Amino acid sequence: MKCPPFEYHRATSVDDAVAALAAAEDSKILAGGQSLVPVLALRLARPTVLVDVNRIPGLDGLDVRDGVLHAGALVRHAALARQALHPLAAAAAASIGHAAIRSRGTLGGSLAHADPAAELPAVLRACDGAVVVAGPDGTRRVGADALFVGALQTDLAEPEMITGVELGVPDAWGFAEFARRHGDFAVVSVAAARFGDRLRVVVGGVAGVPHLLETSAPSGTGALDEVAGALADDVDPSSDLHGSAGHRRALTRELARRALADVITEPAREPT
Amino acid sequence: MNTDHVPASGTPVRRKEDTRLLTGRGRYVSDLVLPRMRHVAFVRSPVAHARLAGIDTTEALAVDGVHAVVTGEHPALASVALRAQSALPGYVETDQPPLARGKVRFAGEAVAAVVADDRYLAEDGAEAVVVDYDPLGPTVCAWADPAGITDPVHDEAPDNLLLSRTFRAGDVEAALAAADVVVDRELTTNRHSGNPIECRAGVARYEAADRRLTFWSGTQVPHLVRTQLAELLDLPEGNIRVVAPDVGGGFGVKAVLYPEDVALCLMAIAMPGIPLKWVEDRVEHLLAATHARDHRYVLRAGFAADGALLAVRADVWCNTGAYSVYPWTAGIEPLMAGGLLTGPYKLTDYECTVRGVATNTSPSGPYRGVARPATVFAMEALLDSGARALGMDPIALRRRNLILPADVPYRMPSRLVDDSGAYEACLDRAVEVFDVRRWRAEQIRRRDAGERPIGIGVALYNELTGLGRAASAGPRMPFRTGHDACTVRVNPDGGVTVFSGVTSQGQGLETTMAQVVADALGVAYDAVDVRIGDTDESLWGFGAFSSRQAVIGGGAAHLAGGHVRDKVLALAGALKEVDVADLDLRAGQVHVRGQEKPIISLAEVARVAYLQSDRLPEGFGPGLEGTEFYDPIRGAFAAGAQLAAIEFDPTTGAVRILDWVCVEDAGRIVHPVIVDGQIAGSIAQGIGGAMYEHLVYDEAGNLSTGTLLDYLMPTSGEIPELRLDHVSTPAANPTGVRGVGEGGTLGPAAVVAGALGDALGVELDDLPVTPARVWELAGGRP
Ligand SMILES: Cc1cc2nc3c(=O)[nH]c(=O)nc-3n(C[C@H](O)[C@H](O)[C@H](O)COP(=O)(O)OP(=O)(O)OC[C@H]3O[C@@H](n4cnc5c(N)ncnc54)[C@H](O)[C@@H]3O)c2cc1C
Repeated sequence: MKCPPFEYHRATSVDDAVAALAAAEDSKILAGGQSLVPVLALRLARPTVLVDVNRIPGLDGLDVRDGVLHAGALVRHAALARQALHPLAAAAAASIGHAAIRSRGTLGGSLAHADPAAELPAVLRACDGAVVVAGPDGTRRVGADALFVGALQTDLAEPEMITGVELGVPDAWGFAEFARRHGDFAVVSVAAARFGDRLRVVVGGVAGVPHLLETSAPSGTGALDEVAGALADDVDPSSDLHGSAGHRRALTRELARRALADVITEPAREPT
Repeated sequence: MNTDHVPASGTPVRRKEDTRLLTGRGRYVSDLVLPRMRHVAFVRSPVAHARLAGIDTTEALAVDGVHAVVTGEHPALASVALRAQSALPGYVETDQPPLARGKVRFAGEAVAAVVADDRYLAEDGAEAVVVDYDPLGPTVCAWADPAGITDPVHDEAPDNLLLSRTFRAGDVEAALAAADVVVDRELTTNRHSGNPIECRAGVARYEAADRRLTFWSGTQVPHLVRTQLAELLDLPEGNIRVVAPDVGGGFGVKAVLYPEDVALCLMAIAMPGIPLKWVEDRVEHLLAATHARDHRYVLRAGFAADGALLAVRADVWCNTGAYSVYPWTAGIEPLMAGGLLTGPYKLTDYECTVRGVATNTSPSGPYRGVARPATVFAMEALLDSGARALGMDPIALRRRNLILPADVPYRMPSRLVDDSGAYEACLDRAVEVFDVRRWRAEQIRRRDAGERPIGIGVALYNELTGLGRAASAGPRMPFRTGHDACTVRVNPDGGVTVFSGVTSQGQGLETTMAQVVADALGVAYDAVDVRIGDTDESLWGFGAFSSRQAVIGGGAAHLAGGHVRDKVLALAGALKEVDVADLDLRAGQVHVRGQEKPIISLAEVARVAYLQSDRLPEGFGPGLEGTEFYDPIRGAFAAGAQLAAIEFDPTTGAVRILDWVCVEDAGRIVHPVIVDGQIAGSIAQGIGGAMYEHLVYDEAGNLSTGTLLDYLMPTSGEIPELRLDHVSTPAANPTGVRGVGEGGTLGPAAVVAGALGDALGVELDDLPVTPARVWELAGGRP
């Protein structure tokens, strides 16, 4: 479990990083290292150059403009968990791993890594957010629906770097997840966001990319069960060591109920 | 000054090792740096079963910084094999090469070793070794139909059966026929492992000029390793020094001499003067350190209408893995399973056939609790089924069948002699502390209110500890592990150095031995310094396994302390012309009994003994030291009871432990915090095995849980606040202690499974109890 040999470049600016990435074949960005370093230690990747972006100034900002949170790519999970500007992102970030992982892992790294069970990709999709990407030909904006292509696969090209993230702040939100142990990747997670009368519910852990259900926000008795049921019917999970497909579907229904409880207001019901 | 001697035993004195361990100054094998040292990485088989068609090392040797690549055919290794021996009839002896020869028998087996300037380069070299594998049919499951075996693991055992034995007492068929209620269970337990924080590690150095080998190893059994190395390496035993410095957990996994250890030593001999270091990483550890508890139990039990247990019949398969683990043999788990299955329950009619079956998986070896976490799960499942069939309260049914003080010594149907009888006392205390009535009321309340169900799980167990020569651990091996030695030396300044044969993997043996010696000798705890783990320092100890060290090493420490105390008093009496019978040694001062003022200090006695031979009275020689061995002949059974209330969420399968009580009988307790730490730690490991840890192989024999991402260790987040309590019935040994190292692991699988059955009215036949499994048992469709 020792990394294969690689060269190391400490980038001083986004331009420097992009240039270094473009200059070598099989280069990789090193951000928090919480996903990349284990992969290197297992020798499942062997980049020739690691471009360390941690010292690039100005990529750890957080501010809200016109109802949208603008976050730098180097915002650590711990900082995201602490902020109050975007409570859904905070709740999701607080559920990532353990303290040590949250204090190093970055928002940009999590989105670029695109683990199907990760919290932040689900939040990006639920908020219909986007990433700002710098590349050799300038910058571009990639929406959440286009960013995630498959498990651990994004629309980013090799010499591209996520520099910032835009997350709409929902009017109402909910988040719930189920993990085997404290701090584990979720078996299933659900992030729900309501913008006006639009409802976006995203399930993590049931497909290669965060699974989205978009509806107009329903209301009235039974709306919650209806959406949770529709979502559970909609997902097509597979089985693995930590849960069967059926179990994941059941978790989707139950976690959707929990996440949506704060989003869909129903007439008071008799307690069951 | 108050010179009253306050006994160190029974009090939570500050642990001697903690200054070192808690401030990051521990000295582990991984910390060892020696001049000219090189690093070793092993090339491990990616396939479960294959003939080795060829190994090409050319490219690896071309890697910068790589000095050597060694394979099983290397002349230094080619003639050596580890061969675990047992005189049991029918046991099939097989060879385990230090590096694979001819074929590989499990995924993860070492096929070559690369020696390089550092571990990175060694791994670069390992990657460049090209091995040609010619696949053979793998066997993964130990209870698969033997007719399906195309390629046996070892040619010597065409049916893969390395060992089988039937335990028989009374007439089981007749007793079953006479039973009012008969229950059947078929159970499978999950393969898991000790997984200490520090993986295996070794540094071997050979000095050719005087043919001396030093092996620093994170072993639990340095003296055994020395003896075995002497045999395998053909060196005089006195030329070998094995040093186990600080060790970061063992749990049995490090009570084994591994082929990697032997390979490292053989390579060091082939490269004299160059110390070779191998520090195992987690991936290697999960793949190739010993596994355990991969068993199947087919059971039938008969009960009388009043709940009396009349008969148990059992068929047991234990997955031995690819090799008979050295030196404990393939018998380690099956024989323990058959010997202890019936636990603390009275039974006359018993028949149990156990088997150790070779498969193409990592070898099974000792792991804290050896087989009994599985057998307790099996036995308690029978009792839970019996209670359900009889309509009896499960606790009442257990109580009805316990070995009671009046029955002791009780000859179990496997002929082991139980000296405890404290089971009912443990159960009573556990029921009281846990407050069964309160939890039963809560259970009903939740049922009525439609809230999440809870269940109450119970397990009772007997932990066989401190085995003497008559009960010695292991199946008729060429050695008996009944004794340990301890040397107590009073230094010229009156300080005390103890050279004990025990070893410590974090469980505080330096402290415990110091407490025992301080009290036996009559000095302050702080005056005693303990040396362990170095075969050049201590005379003899079998090491850490079978919860033996407090009993046996502690017994030797007590006797050695007493022996030196007699010497001190004799010399003091002669020096001061006082009758020895009137003298007492307390807190390092010799007193005439009943008198406040000491007549001479231990320091002065020591000064005379070492430095002032002119003052030595007639008949006294110089020096102040004594060595004693202790062997308890039999063992000390330790009783334990665990009770828990556990919530199960039928919609998600989530399992939440609401309360967990454990009461054990540690006999006389030497250090209350260490004892509680042992119990808490072993319950945590038991919960890990019951709910999280599972080493899963696919049908081809690939380990699917190869990292800690998939092999789930419990963390402090998963372990509930444990409520521990004690009963104390001192054992018949010098310190009155009973072992507590393993007992906690024995209960949890039974407790969690029992609680699940109690909560949902289902029978669980396999482990671990995962959310997905709970959800299915609650009616979910996978
Ligand atoms: C024990 C453990 C538990 C964990 N639990 C969770 C969990 O519960 N939930 C969860 O979501 N995550 C979890 N993680 C992963 C963690 O959140 C990582 O921090 C995250 O996935 C990656 O972020 P990073 O900054 O560490 O990226 P790195 O590991 O440095 O990089 C990851 C990948 O993204 C690329 N990359 C990084 N930054 C950029 C960028 N700005 N632009 C383009 N590409 C980039 C890298 O090249 C690499 O391919 C866990 C990790 C560990 C070790």
